[in-house]
Amino acid sequence: MLVTWKYRPRNTFVQRLDPRTRLIFMVCIIFALTIPEIWDYRIVLPLFFVSLTLYLLARIEWKDVRRAWLYISILVFFIVGLNGLLSGRGGPSSVTNLPSPVLFEVPFVIPGTDWGWMVPVTVSKLWFALNQMTRMITMAILAIPIPYTMDPNIYGTAFRRMGASDKVSFTMDLAFRFLPTFARDLTITMDAQRARGYEMDKLKGGIAGRIRRLAPLIIPVVMQSTVTGEEVIDAMDLRAFGTSQRTWLKELHYAPRDYMLLGLGAAIFITCCVLKWGFGIGGFFVPDFFTQFVVR
Amino acid sequence: MNESKNTWEFGTRQVVYGAIGAALYGVFSWATNIFPLPAAGNVTFRPAVAVLIFFGVAYGPWVGLLAGFIGNTLGDALSGWGFYWNWSLGNGLMGMVPGLVMAAISNFKERADIMKAVGWGTLGIAVGMLFASLTEMFVGGIDFNTALVGYFVPAFVGNLVVVAILLPVLMIAFAAVAARRGR
Repeated sequence: MLVTWKYRPRNTFVQRLDPRTRLIFMVCIIFALTIPEIWDYRIVLPLFFVSLTLYLLARIEWKDVRRAWLYISILVFFIVGLNGLLSGRGGPSSVTNLPSPVLFEVPFVIPGTDWGWMVPVTVSKLWFALNQMTRMITMAILAIPIPYTMDPNIYGTAFRRMGASDKVSFTMDLAFRFLPTFARDLTITMDAQRARGYEMDKLKGGIAGRIRRLAPLIIPVVMQSTVTGEEVIDAMDLRAFGTSQRTWLKELHYAPRDYMLLGLGAAIFITCCVLKWGFGIGGFFVPDFFTQFVVR
Repeated sequence: MNESKNTWEFGTRQVVYGAIGAALYGVFSWATNIFPLPAAGNVTFRPAVAVLIFFGVAYGPWVGLLAGFIGNTLGDALSGWGFYWNWSLGNGLMGMVPGLVMAAISNFKERADIMKAVGWGTLGIAVGMLFASLTEMFVGGIDFNTALVGYFVPAFVGNLVVVAILLPVLMIAFAAVAARRGR
């Protein structure tokens, strides 16, 4: 039995949009931030508010996304944020190359030795970490509502209508459908192994030992999926999949609101490219007010 | 000639296993995206890479490419990372290259075939991660040293360790399942 995404029909602006519009707009924002390498808060912040507006218009209940947000918060604040704060890496080289006032130093000691070094946290790294987190959340909040607000039955149609071949579209469609099923299988397998005494939180040994001990979780899910695959192939072959061009049951049509959002997405992308490559605006820099605020 | 045709075939089997590989890679990546590699930028420790290489080896290059590209995109999207086309394509290459050895593997239990799979898997990791790390110079604005030392080396070593340990286990388990199934 296939488990579906946590999709529920809601009469919202976001759900009335054509799925292609939402995917293309998301790609526009991601490309606008990543291809011209935009790190300027004057551009990043407005894009963040555009994404936030669309997220809020999706009107997803907090109880539905609570866990997703907890996970994303840990990832963004404690992993990406701390990584940016301490290393300054993952972005432009000017974060670490340009001189910047040191706020404080974090001592690192290799366990079991006296060896260590001090990692300076600079104003530049702090600003970069804030920027990096805002950029990631801007992109993430466009992707988060998709499983909750986009009908899983139209993923394949959307990709087909965006120009992908029947086979590639069907691969996408199936992958989206299988994802929650395998997530459920993984959870069931974890519970079953725990019931047999498997302690996932207390994996002991070196790296090799720990990886080897992941096998009881990975192998059953993967092997079961290969068996499922044969059944799906038989079902598709019986329906003569791939013998001729496929027809898709769902029809998609753009409405004026879709053209508006697509125009906005294209305008954002083009503006970011022109600003960065045409006028040199959009690169990483630390604004004076921030330096004055943190260095007193 | 026949071997080459089988390797590059893209039919129902490849569509289904491409989707399954992508979903599995997405789920396992999502489950482990929380573990960053030491010294790496935004590169995480992914036991799921063994699953991706396995799908490439077992079902061919198209399956590896689709599983890597779509799976990485799904895993990143689920984790809230957004979409990084160069890392998704790098992951696709990482699954595609080992797929080239599919036709040369006849017995998933044989030591020689397992060694072949691990060898091609290593090549796939090198090609895929090198592509993603070097393109990060243009996408993320990092310098060559950071791309090589900060991204490629930890990603390559981490994935290699995972593949060397888990791929043989997956292959032996698959041999047993395939024998029971009769195809």
